[in-house]
Amino acid sequence: MGSTLRAAWHIAVKDLAIEWRTKTAFASGLVFAVLVLAVLFFSRDPTTVSATDIAPGAMWVTFTFASMLGLNRAFLIERELRALDGILLTPAPRAAIYWGKFVANLAFVGAIEAISLPLFVLFYDVPIWRRLGELILVIAMATIAFVAVGTLLSAMVVRTRYAELMLPLLLLPFLVPPLVAGVQATAPLLDGRPLSDVSGWLKLIAGFDVAFVTLAALLFEVVLDE
Amino acid sequence: MSGAVTAPAMDVVLSASGVIRRFGYRTVLAGVSLSLRRGEVLLLVGPNGAGKTTLLRVLAGLLRPATGHVERHGAIGMVAHDAMLYPALSGRANLRFFARLHGIADLGRVDAVLEQVGLSRRADDRVGTFSRGMLQRVAIARALVHEPELLLFDEPLSGLDAAASRTLVELLASFRERGTAMIIVSHEMERLGRVATHIVRLAAGRLGPVESLTGRDPGAVFAELMRGDL
Repeated sequence: MGSTLRAAWHIAVKDLAIEWRTKTAFASGLVFAVLVLAVLFFSRDPTTVSATDIAPGAMWVTFTFASMLGLNRAFLIERELRALDGILLTPAPRAAIYWGKFVANLAFVGAIEAISLPLFVLFYDVPIWRRLGELILVIAMATIAFVAVGTLLSAMVVRTRYAELMLPLLLLPFLVPPLVAGVQATAPLLDGRPLSDVSGWLKLIAGFDVAFVTLAALLFEVVLDE
Repeated sequence: MSGAVTAPAMDVVLSASGVIRRFGYRTVLAGVSLSLRRGEVLLLVGPNGAGKTTLLRVLAGLLRPATGHVERHGAIGMVAHDAMLYPALSGRANLRFFARLHGIADLGRVDAVLEQVGLSRRADDRVGTFSRGMLQRVAIARALVHEPELLLFDEPLSGLDAAASRTLVELLASFRERGTAMIIVSHEMERLGRVATHIVRLAAGRLGPVESLTGRDPGAVFAELMRGDL
């Protein structure tokens, strides 16, 4: 257990160091986020649809697709010079690769969300401050679910020729349940209602977190072997 | 060496028996058996597509055999066609990362191995800016950083200039003297023949008899082995 955590930490730090040096996924994720927020905002008719009605969906669409760029990159950096083989030659447990990538992806997606959230407020003028803590909880829980399954699928598709195309195709069906729950939990919070009003949705997201994290961690070694 | 020779168990660093590996319907390794003891250096030769790289990857544990099994006693280092490095990181950062995964606490070892391969001055440059030869040197450093008992090389001299090749051959000879076992895929008999203790030919996924090079002209043995391929 200790060696898995140590190795996972080294892998996560390495992934973040690479992203820090190149900033390719982060920059494109951020540009994408701004673009989606702006397009969705200006495409609505303000006389028929209020900004707050469209806000929860716009926020989750932005987070999901911007984050996918980072998830895609998680294993592409291992493919370029087959660096993953170098890791597999070390005594590091294979599970450490999953957990290391998972932590790095969480940090990446968290950073995208942290920067996108103020932009979201700027565009949609929604009063998130009243329920900011609760909103962050919902975002964090849904993010865990899609990063867990996204990390697994990213490892699965990296050896295919069209990895960048394959990941969204495979990932989106898995994302629908936690995303629907995330949108449903976000809307009442943006209205200023208490967390207890969305406890059902929170429990559902927590269920997806447990299921996705457990299954992805268990299946990862099989994916690596294949 | 090879399945035909029984070696004292404590000396054996690698043994493989009945290894079969298929890609789809194509059988690439058709029942390979071999064993390697400390200090033995096996030169693996054979025509293109014979399965040499696949065999190295199976022996390293990067590919699982369909049947048969491989036992490794001790740490493995491998230099393959791809450098197994991160282009965005420097040579030093790459080596530190792999050293940490090997559980090496003293990162001074990284500087020592960079010195060994002659890359100390460029250690903090991004690997992505390196020439093929320099990349190969960092890959060699990566394979050596944890002082493995078994080294696997796939065309180790490819991309190296004459001076770097000479340095690597001397390095390999010193590892052999220290008891490191090696399998080297290469047809560079002139330079690597001096380091190797044995040679074997792989063709159509099957190993031929292992020939000792002790007291023999490596070039002549190689020519004899490859006669069918020329």
